[in-house]
Amino acid sequence: MSTTKLKVVGKPTPKLDAGVRVSGKAVYGCDVNLPGMLFGAVLRAKFPCADIVAVDVSKAASLPGVACVITADSVDTNNISHKRDHPILKKGEVSCLRDEIAAVAATSREIAQKALSLIKVKYRVKEGIFDPFRALEPSAPQINRYGRNSFSNKNIAEEFHYEHGDLEGEKNRSACRIKRRYFLPRVTHCCLATSNITADYSPTERRLTLYSSTQVPFLYQRDMAHALKLEPSNIRVIQVTIGGGFGSKLDMYPFEPIAAILSMKTGRPVQIVYDRREEFLASPTRQMMVIDLMTGADTEGRFTFREVDIILDNGAYTSWGATTPFVMMQTFSSLYRVPACKFAARAVYTNNPYAGSMRGYGNPQATFALERNIDVMAREIGIDRAEIRLINANFPGEVTGQGLTYRTCGHRQALQTVIEKSGYGKTRDRQSGARRYKRGMGFASMLHVAGGAKIYRSDGCGTTVKLDAFGYLTVITGSNEIGQGSETVLAMIASEELGIGLDKIRVINSDTDIKPWDVGVHASRTSFVAGNSLLGAVGKLKEILSPKAAALLKTGVSDLVYEDEYIRSMTTGERIKLDKVVREIHFQKPNELCIANHFYEPNSELQDKEYRGNVSSAFAFGSQAVEVEVDTCTGNVRVLDVYVAQDVGRVLNPLGLQGQIEGGVVMGLGHALMEELIVENGRVLNPDFHNYKLPTASDVPNIRFYPVETLDQEGPYGAKGVGEAPLVPTPAAIANAVSDALGVEISSLPLTPENILKAIVEKHGI
Amino acid sequence: MEFEVKSPGTRSELLSAIIKTRTGFRFGAGYTDLIPELRKNGSPVRTIINLARLNDKRFTAITVTKRGIRIGALVTAARLADDPTIREYLPVLAQATSDMASPQIRQVATIGGNLCTASPAGDGACALMALEAECELLNSRNQARTITLASFFLGPRKTALERDELLQSVFVPANSGVRLFSGFIKVGTRRSMECSVVSLAYHVQTDSSGNVVHSGIAIGSAAPVIRFAHSACSLLLGKNLETMTVQDAGRFAQNVLEHASPISDLRASAWYRRQVLFNISKALFSERQGAAETNGSYEGKAHELH
Repeated sequence: MSTTKLKVVGKPTPKLDAGVRVSGKAVYGCDVNLPGMLFGAVLRAKFPCADIVAVDVSKAASLPGVACVITADSVDTNNISHKRDHPILKKGEVSCLRDEIAAVAATSREIAQKALSLIKVKYRVKEGIFDPFRALEPSAPQINRYGRNSFSNKNIAEEFHYEHGDLEGEKNRSACRIKRRYFLPRVTHCCLATSNITADYSPTERRLTLYSSTQVPFLYQRDMAHALKLEPSNIRVIQVTIGGGFGSKLDMYPFEPIAAILSMKTGRPVQIVYDRREEFLASPTRQMMVIDLMTGADTEGRFTFREVDIILDNGAYTSWGATTPFVMMQTFSSLYRVPACKFAARAVYTNNPYAGSMRGYGNPQATFALERNIDVMAREIGIDRAEIRLINANFPGEVTGQGLTYRTCGHRQALQTVIEKSGYGKTRDRQSGARRYKRGMGFASMLHVAGGAKIYRSDGCGTTVKLDAFGYLTVITGSNEIGQGSETVLAMIASEELGIGLDKIRVINSDTDIKPWDVGVHASRTSFVAGNSLLGAVGKLKEILSPKAAALLKTGVSDLVYEDEYIRSMTTGERIKLDKVVREIHFQKPNELCIANHFYEPNSELQDKEYRGNVSSAFAFGSQAVEVEVDTCTGNVRVLDVYVAQDVGRVLNPLGLQGQIEGGVVMGLGHALMEELIVENGRVLNPDFHNYKLPTASDVPNIRFYPVETLDQEGPYGAKGVGEAPLVPTPAAIANAVSDALGVEISSLPLTPENILKAIVEKHGI
Repeated sequence: MEFEVKSPGTRSELLSAIIKTRTGFRFGAGYTDLIPELRKNGSPVRTIINLARLNDKRFTAITVTKRGIRIGALVTAARLADDPTIREYLPVLAQATSDMASPQIRQVATIGGNLCTASPAGDGACALMALEAECELLNSRNQARTITLASFFLGPRKTALERDELLQSVFVPANSGVRLFSGFIKVGTRRSMECSVVSLAYHVQTDSSGNVVHSGIAIGSAAPVIRFAHSACSLLLGKNLETMTVQDAGRFAQNVLEHASPISDLRASAWYRRQVLFNISKALFSERQGAAETNGSYEGKAHELH
């Protein structure tokens, strides 16, 4: 890998799949249409907490066009989720409104829906528990009886404790201690493609093929096999074009094995596609949480300690999302320097819709609480808000209390960049007087894993590269594309290294029967891990190509460069076409294929039981400055400018990077200002885009992006992970800006006009 | 959701379609509201009489006479927002329709649909209420009757239309003043694709020295139906806009609020609706000097619009 003169990497490159996407040729889940395919539909609970007294499916089963009806009694399955606390079809009781009671497969969607309406379920309604604090009371009944629970309370699904440093000592020497409680709402992914699955079971081959939108095909294959009691290798997962992942496809949900069971029972392909309402009702959300945070600083504004206690509303079943405290504790222990930290988090079962994982994985919530407290501390101590952040910024070479090792660290540079670019300090006069519109500026930083995250035994990725006799390269990567642009980045890397044009490179990444193993798309890891894996494979391919080329060019292998589809001798200037070299290798001695495999495992560590260890090979840092204008008549917040500086290691594809930054900021803006899945007594009250407010194009502010390139030696060309990071500090920075504009404290999201107006009225009166 | 679609091209085909359709039917024009409604309610509607292909000037034209401006029910929001006559003489309507939904929806959404759906949040309807519009209703016997917009709305989603009637056009009487202070304030969470949480339509006409000679004020999403704020209009009569005091503005806002009886729903509480309605009403006159840059309202001429 040479980074001296990059020809492809660093150049704005449109996504390889842009053409098929914009021309409507991309095959999304709902576009899959197999011969003889049936349509599946799921009957869900009518009450969030009830005993099921009886289920009668006879009328549905006899409806013409219905091929199969299943209930818990007609299937033999294992529970799903990493806690194995989630039955695929519920028997005896329901614990939330999403609960699957029965499912049908029919010749049309309409007949399937009609069949659902003919299923009679008799309930004995019970009082549910919708408040996680209530669930923790001794008198509360056990909500989920499946989980293996060794925690301090029967309704705790996951529990985390972490600490470093001398907490009491640091508390005592603090000049300022700030304690606040923060409330973070349920928001959801709003993927444009709704949840979908097409299952195709072949009774003759006993093979199950799944056309799926999963982000983690190999873990999915294993989970599906466990659920259905099949051999994992008899399950083939083919990824369709994914219309939005954002973490929502990290877990497998009941509808997926349900489709497989319906296909196995009927011997025909079965497709389940949610409509938008079902997507809102039955797909996961970000964790709703309550964060109690106490932080301290000395008289100079140096941070002394943090003490955190978090309650997460888990809902009725557990998803990977319950492990978001892994990420949150990193932010509390290691974003800005802090000598002591004590962190506790409990994910608590309730009868609410269950939460899942979502871009940032707890980090936007943690960062919101932390950065709000920093603003309050700055005011208490009487130190400038930008200054206090600079004083405490992370630095290269730092090893944090949790053992995170910052080999490279652009935190300080990112902070300085947004402080300078935003013109902070020069805009103060804008908010003087009693004008209707008040302006404010807010800052926030973030820390996120950026070199994978070792939470499974391996965080690795396999790659196979194949160069054919016509000079075309096929990259078969374990990683996958969920819209983040990794396919394009991989092709760019291969193009850079081998001197082959992007039009002669194919990336194959969607079929578990073909591609080598990979953990999946999560933790902003793909470009880093799959990029390194590809570089390893290309290196091995060159070990096949270079000796032959050197022999043909009568020179040594170290004299060769790969460029413009040729291999050239630097000393003689003589060159030979790449495809000719391949043919010489194929058809002459040594009669070898130009194929190479590589498995890359990042050098990160699994954390110990105290959650210490360098969990990622690199860390991303970022800072944002946000300027807002608040209409004090209506409470409307308009985000005017967002200045983003992010340590990305190196820019691989400026176009793709800009897209990730802008998309992240807008997602964070929605979280900050308007998004909330409103749930009352276990029921979702706004399961539609009419009342679940997603930002539109006209809400998008000016987004000014300044990449910070720290060239991390572990990353491909020095690059770090990017995907989740831009979202993480945005809600915090917006909240800080609104607080600055109005002089009010902000302790919850979203900052809807009504919540803002309430704060104004509370402060000033009407 | 399955139904038959009849697409009359002429007035006589339309009337015959109404007469011949015996099962439950609905009129459809832009379908931006109808399709979601039918999907949501699993409606028993068997037939849609599709007006989108109807070629009849009474339904499709904007006609200007000395008496006023007639707007066909099938005129789209996009056309109203762009029409030079509307922009010049009825800025409140141009602004309401240009802030509505999204460009795609404005291309097909009709003003007739905005009225007939009888939503208390209808933006075009709120503007037309401030303009004291009249509705021209046509029945299947080809007879027309005219009623005021105020009497057209009976309640949320309820209109004075008989089973065999449809809205043919709306008529806005000519302005009596020489200068206009006319605009539409839409309050919502986001800047587009938004159903008004509260709206205020104002169409204030003055003589050349700024004395109010006629005014129309209407409020949306603040009551079961869109309301015309009579007492607020009376308060303005004879006042000079240039010399209105902050106290006048406060009294005006109080008078507007008299007409509000909002509910609490998912989008906002009744408290918020009342509070905001008061604030924006007051700001309308207390901030009028800097109005162009502060509240987005504008005066009079089309070429001054941004």
